[in-house]
Amino acid sequence: MLLVCGTAPLKELPLTEGEAGLDGDILRVGGAGIPCTQGTAALVSAACKTLDYLGQPAPRVLLVGDDGTGKGSRQLYERLIEDLPRLAPRVVVLHYMLPVMGLMRRVSESASKAPRRPFMIADAAAMYAAKAAGIAREFDLFTPDLSELAFLADPQATHPAYVSRHLFESDSTRIPEMVAAAYANGSAARTLVVKGATDHIAQEGRILDTLSEPDIPALEAIGGTGDTISGMVGALVHAGYDEVTAARVAVRANRTAGLYAGATPATRIRQVIEALPRVFADHLDGWVRQAQIERAERSAP
Amino acid sequence: MFFKSGKKNGFEGGGLVLFESVEEAMSGERALKAGEFETRLVAPPPELRRGCDLALEINLVEKPAVERALQEREVPFLDILPIRGDAELLQVVKVTDFGEALMVKAGNMKLTFDKASGVVLNISGGGCPDIPYLHAEMLAKPLEQAPRPKAIGRTLCALMLDRAWEQSLEIRKNGNG
Repeated sequence: MLLVCGTAPLKELPLTEGEAGLDGDILRVGGAGIPCTQGTAALVSAACKTLDYLGQPAPRVLLVGDDGTGKGSRQLYERLIEDLPRLAPRVVVLHYMLPVMGLMRRVSESASKAPRRPFMIADAAAMYAAKAAGIAREFDLFTPDLSELAFLADPQATHPAYVSRHLFESDSTRIPEMVAAAYANGSAARTLVVKGATDHIAQEGRILDTLSEPDIPALEAIGGTGDTISGMVGALVHAGYDEVTAARVAVRANRTAGLYAGATPATRIRQVIEALPRVFADHLDGWVRQAQIERAERSAP
Repeated sequence: MFFKSGKKNGFEGGGLVLFESVEEAMSGERALKAGEFETRLVAPPPELRRGCDLALEINLVEKPAVERALQEREVPFLDILPIRGDAELLQVVKVTDFGEALMVKAGNMKLTFDKASGVVLNISGGGCPDIPYLHAEMLAKPLEQAPRPKAIGRTLCALMLDRAWEQSLEIRKNGNG
């Protein structure tokens, strides 16, 4: 099971659990309809498209309304603390939720009580909470953008709004240095997928791949283009790909979907997501072959 | 160090509200508890101590909402600070020109607007739960008519979005947008 956990901008949405499905640009979960916009809805929608293309079951979702009060987020944390061992998902993606350090620690402890600890992915404020709580190393994969990488590289910061100025002002040429700092201070998951003008994939402190083509600068402006990468990585790992192959495919697919959608700064994320099946049909096999060849070369003595 | 880190069942919020007097700190606690914020009275570490020797620990991420709650209940406070790390919020703003649109980036938040109309085209970045809500409230509205992020948002991500919104308005006012 791929379990995606997050919040939706619907104040009245109770904690809702169910299989996700797309109905046009509406995400359906347990009888609730959520517009496919920036945030966890975009992440789940991209995961749905990916798993559907691969002929895999749809993702299971734990979604709750929260407009920032944290009430919904706390219900979500409590449910995870109580139910993760029973649910025993293969992959968990933690996403938009109020960062609460103590509760995130307990979620990670709960994950370890499952028969087999799930592959743990954190993005958005779930990643902030994991880093601030000092448990980043318990996670398998983070998907920061450049400003969030600066946050991971700053050993003291508990939120990206309090990052040291010199780190925030760093440009993409300093990504290797910031990746090294994030691993050195224990603030990185085992694998990092750094999203930006040039995407970087790092594992255990080493940058394994960079990608900057096709170059679609408008993607940075479109709300949800980071969420879609996290959704695709989660789906691909769940489908059996190793995390580096999954990351390589996801960042390529995101860029190519932007190209196919003719992305401009006014494009909506649902237009990018709609392009994904065509992107997979055209490129998935080739990208997977290429990633596997490079993986074999990397592991050769 | 006074603050316990990693305490399993204790509240650990990462932020401190400093007060001039013990009475104000007690009033602050009542105001925040009434607003259903998680908080506790603590002694601030010496390096952060200003005013009295009682402070409130809060979830730093909720700084804008805590400020608003204290102001609404007319509880004076000296400052809200992170317990560790840089005490200053990021002030740096970066601007990217897409031709017909400008993207203004503050911290982890990016706001993109149409140069001709001033309409908000997209909001990206961030991770706190009020961001998708603010995205829905502000999208497709002119900057001047969109709700102010700081007024309806509650988190540090909303505060960064507020910076981007303020700077976007400034750019428009100066005729550069």
